[in-house]
Amino acid sequence: MQASTDQEKAPFGFREVAASEKHGLVQTLFDGVAQNYDLMNDLMSGGVHRLWKSAMLDWLAPRPGMTLLDVAGGTGDIAFRFQERGGGPVMVCDLTPGMLAVGRDRAIDKGRLTRFAEGGIDWVAGNAEQLPVADRSVDAYTIAFGLRNVTRIDKALAEAFRVLKPGGRFLCLEFSQVVLPVLDKLYDTYSFSVLPALGQYVAKDREAYVYLAESIRTFPPQEDLAARIRAVGFEMVSYRNLSGGIAALHSGWRL
Amino acid sequence: MSETDTRRGGGVDPKLLEILVCPLTKAGLRYDADRQELISDQARLAYPIRDGIPIMLIDEARQLADEEIQRR
Repeated sequence: MQASTDQEKAPFGFREVAASEKHGLVQTLFDGVAQNYDLMNDLMSGGVHRLWKSAMLDWLAPRPGMTLLDVAGGTGDIAFRFQERGGGPVMVCDLTPGMLAVGRDRAIDKGRLTRFAEGGIDWVAGNAEQLPVADRSVDAYTIAFGLRNVTRIDKALAEAFRVLKPGGRFLCLEFSQVVLPVLDKLYDTYSFSVLPALGQYVAKDREAYVYLAESIRTFPPQEDLAARIRAVGFEMVSYRNLSGGIAALHSGWRL
Repeated sequence: MSETDTRRGGGVDPKLLEILVCPLTKAGLRYDADRQELISDQARLAYPIRDGIPIMLIDEARQLADEEIQRR
């Protein structure tokens, strides 16, 4: 650990870690759960994550030739849906090579084209805060359940703005703050008792799911996140609550 | 190049190379097919391509020696 970078802290669940340490922790965590990631999503949310992702694609409205950069979508969940709905080429950029390998293998199993040039899906390891993508190069940027794991959210948002073409669309799907009074109590019990137990039995990794529950609580609520999206230059920023605010979809345009 | 090669790491999509840049300098990259690396001369870094996946992470890049750098 270096003394200079230790000054800057980042939340890792309820723990505070050095900002320089967080991406390594996130990478290790997702490498560990990569094989079971999609199964766990189904179990944890009772399949509801599929409806949320579907809502994201509804709002995005893919069209032929539309290029997408999907960040933190290593297993291809958003990329496959985008193409099934008629979208163009996709670059999936994820911090964890293990997650990308799962997505890429799945693409091959599905008989999908794996090259951007042919309108397929390309898989690249990269950091959301330092995207390996040229300025103004894509029509859409999506990040589903990824922004929470980024060390410096504002830096990632600024990068999203940079890589979008003028007229481009930003969409973020993330856990958010429950807005219904009874649901919030139930949800608390579920997140801090049921989730880690599920993680233990299915993914053999309790800690990863304790982190999940904690990281959701430290993530900025709907209005705060909207303000931060506006702050990097996006316009017409709006959001929709999904399932009473368990998740929220934020949208912005680079005009 | 066979289909399997391109999927499994035998090549890099030329269209992808148009939008892929060095995460540090945001400049374009040079593809070294022999070493399976994407080279950023300005940053003096070589990003590995592992199992067909470009690893565009500064921490994982190899530092270039002086003689490896090409001036444009």
